[in-house]
Amino acid sequence: MVLKAFFPTCCTSADSGLLVGRWVPEQSSAVILAVVHFPFIPIQVKELLAQVQQTSQVGLAVLGTWCHRRQEPEESLGRFLEGLGAIFSHEPWLQLCREKGSKLWSCKATGWQAPTSPGAPSEDQVMIIFYDQRKVLLSQLHPPAALPDCQAGDAMASATGLAAIFDTVARSEVLFQSDRFDEGPVRLSHWQSEGVEASILVEVAKWASGPICLLLTYLLSLVSAASTCRFFNLWPLSFIWSKLSTCEQLRYRLEQLTFIFNPQKAENPSQLMRKANMFVSVLLDVALGLTLLSWLHGKDRIEQLADALVPVADRVAEELQHLLQWLMGAPAGLKMNRALDQVLGRFFLYHIHLWISYIHLMSPFIERILWHMGLSACLGLTVALSILSDIIALLTFHIYCFYVYGARLYCLKICGLSSLWRLFRGKKWNVLRQRVDSCSYDLDQLFIGTLLFTILVFLLPTTALYYLVFTLLRLLVVTVQGLIHLLVDLINSLPLYALGLRLCRPYRLAAGVKFRVLEHEAGRPLRLLMQINPLPYGRVVHIYRLPSCGCHPKHSWSSLCRKLFFGELIYPWRQRGDKQD
Amino acid sequence: MSAEPETQAEEIRWQKVLYERQPFPDNYVDQRFLEELRKNIHARKYRYWAVVFESSVVVQQLCSVCVFVVIWWYMDEGLLAPHWLFGTGLASSLVGYILFDLLDGGEGRRKSGRTRWADLKSALVFITFTYGFSPILKTLTESVSTDTIYAMSVFMLLGHLVFFDYGANAAIVSSTLSLNMAIFASVCLASRLPRSLHAFIMVSFAIQIFALWPMLQKKLKARTPRSYVGVTLLFAFSALAGLLSISVVGATLFALLLVSISCLCPFYLIRLQLFKENIHGPWDEAEIKEDLSRFLS
Repeated sequence: MVLKAFFPTCCTSADSGLLVGRWVPEQSSAVILAVVHFPFIPIQVKELLAQVQQTSQVGLAVLGTWCHRRQEPEESLGRFLEGLGAIFSHEPWLQLCREKGSKLWSCKATGWQAPTSPGAPSEDQVMIIFYDQRKVLLSQLHPPAALPDCQAGDAMASATGLAAIFDTVARSEVLFQSDRFDEGPVRLSHWQSEGVEASILVEVAKWASGPICLLLTYLLSLVSAASTCRFFNLWPLSFIWSKLSTCEQLRYRLEQLTFIFNPQKAENPSQLMRKANMFVSVLLDVALGLTLLSWLHGKDRIEQLADALVPVADRVAEELQHLLQWLMGAPAGLKMNRALDQVLGRFFLYHIHLWISYIHLMSPFIERILWHMGLSACLGLTVALSILSDIIALLTFHIYCFYVYGARLYCLKICGLSSLWRLFRGKKWNVLRQRVDSCSYDLDQLFIGTLLFTILVFLLPTTALYYLVFTLLRLLVVTVQGLIHLLVDLINSLPLYALGLRLCRPYRLAAGVKFRVLEHEAGRPLRLLMQINPLPYGRVVHIYRLPSCGCHPKHSWSSLCRKLFFGELIYPWRQRGDKQD
Repeated sequence: MSAEPETQAEEIRWQKVLYERQPFPDNYVDQRFLEELRKNIHARKYRYWAVVFESSVVVQQLCSVCVFVVIWWYMDEGLLAPHWLFGTGLASSLVGYILFDLLDGGEGRRKSGRTRWADLKSALVFITFTYGFSPILKTLTESVSTDTIYAMSVFMLLGHLVFFDYGANAAIVSSTLSLNMAIFASVCLASRLPRSLHAFIMVSFAIQIFALWPMLQKKLKARTPRSYVGVTLLFAFSALAGLLSISVVGATLFALLLVSISCLCPFYLIRLQLFKENIHGPWDEAEIKEDLSRFLS
């Protein structure tokens, strides 16, 4: 196997010294983390390495020497460097050397026996791979499952080579904390943060966030305690809460806020990312909501809305009345049963009449109600949208009622017809064996069954037409509500922080690496540059998507069509059978 | 392998078994193979008048349908008062009911364990439901075209005739389906009548002629074959007379149909028996004829 030396790009212009890093025997690769400059005392270097190793749990060692020749080659330096191998004994012992021109590199590994080709010259078996220490330190390799467990320590037999290198660099962050200008016993050369001043602000924010989180957590726990109060869980109220999407949304936001302001530290990077995503999502939501609020409360827009709302409701009811009158005639030239048609039409007309009087009773209060609802936009755009969805549901309650009546009637007919059709053929449904068996009926059973069958067959088109029309209306309303819910879900579940990170700092979310050849000459080590492949946007959304409210439709298109055909109630009602499942 | 068997072919006799290796090709058969061939072992000899007598069931059912249609036509035209039909139907039902019990001296009733109370209940159910639903029946098919109704009724009555249990043991026979189709047709036709009383009486007449009358017929045929022939003839002639009053051509065609079914078809059946060539032999599927119950216990 070829020996791979991972060399940080920031150390290419460093002075000569010792190479400090970690040896990964499984991949036969040496990850060089820093260069220790002359002059040093070997004991102090060893102490420093032991300290770092204790805090970061990474097996650091002196891997070899680094020689940067600025002047003419000196014989004594070369001999001195070779002598160092005796002090810091390591197998293999790397001797990296950079000639005066930046192009010429050489590398020698002693004490390294390649198992595959023992006779080949040692120069060919070493590969220098340059990496950007900062990017590798900050990036998070995906998929996260490939990352080795932090508690596993050095025993990472199963980890892939790349994950091992990323992990080594990320965990030896302690090593990079020492500053270039520090007057320590050992002088190191490695990557270090440029913006020390900004980090003070970050420190202050970190220091202040603790008490703020505690306070907010206390407040949130008060709110959630109030919401779980016994009074709100009485039967009619709890039923209403479960049907209103506003309550769902509020509960969801409350959970999120509790999670964000949890004073405990995030355990792993994915949880931290989740917190950040939630925080940004809430922030954006509230910002949008405040924009909406300022738009609504300027220039009497609330009044205009309230004035427009009642005529719209009236108009809808009027259109429905026209539709019903059309249905009561001979709609589209269909042959309907006149008597049943009249009965159904009058029943629904009376319903609309009731609805209109209800709306007119409500009309003086609508403006005030709207004003108070508008205030809720400061809790976030999603809450305002949920309230809008609930208002639509309330204003189209008559359509929902029509749909339920139509569906029930139609379902009754379909069920009756299917069982009477079996009777017509002299069969019956055997519930014990779950199949259709033949059965001998009495004469009177046959007679009544066939009589009812005939009647139902001739009345079916009328009922089916009413059902069809009201189902289409209901589907229209459900579609509008579904679009609103989709928007709310989008704001709720989109990982905005992760997306922003991907946009501005693509290396933070790594999907893998690619290598670019810098130099490939015979007799000289192969030099490669390691670059980080950013994660695609689709994968970012897929990995970091926040769990949404969970009001997704549970059935597929085919089962929806089946339910519609058999007249079973679809959203938001559930059949009793479904609840048991 | 082929040269050797030819010399030994005379000695080795062919056996009709598969479990032994024999020096013959797979499709080889012996001279004795056709010895076991037999012809027409299940063929029956029919007597002409017996077949004519049996065909009377079909004639009866055809006449029932014809009578029903004729009565409906009279009602639709307003030539027949519903009260009169109701009275006649009620009286004939009562007579039939008494006859039904008298014919076998109450033996069938004892066997089935059916009480008179159950009969009364059934009758009440018929009358109540028909009467209760008759207003609905009247308006049921108002908006549907008359031709559609006629087509549906014809289809249903034909279905009734096809699926009726004439005594044959076939898979297609389903007395339930046949009765249901007749009731469906009668409801369709009744919905065309001018008033709900007409509809009620029409449907109750349909029950009498399609449900109750075949039951009485079956008993008559089993107990008193002579009177059954008389009743059939009477019924056929009355149906013909009724049809004659509506359409001469229809009556002629119907008479021809009846004659062909009761006289020509039996004759033709007996003639065709001569051409029967059913062969049986060892190639037939195995048939288990013995009673299996002695193995089971």
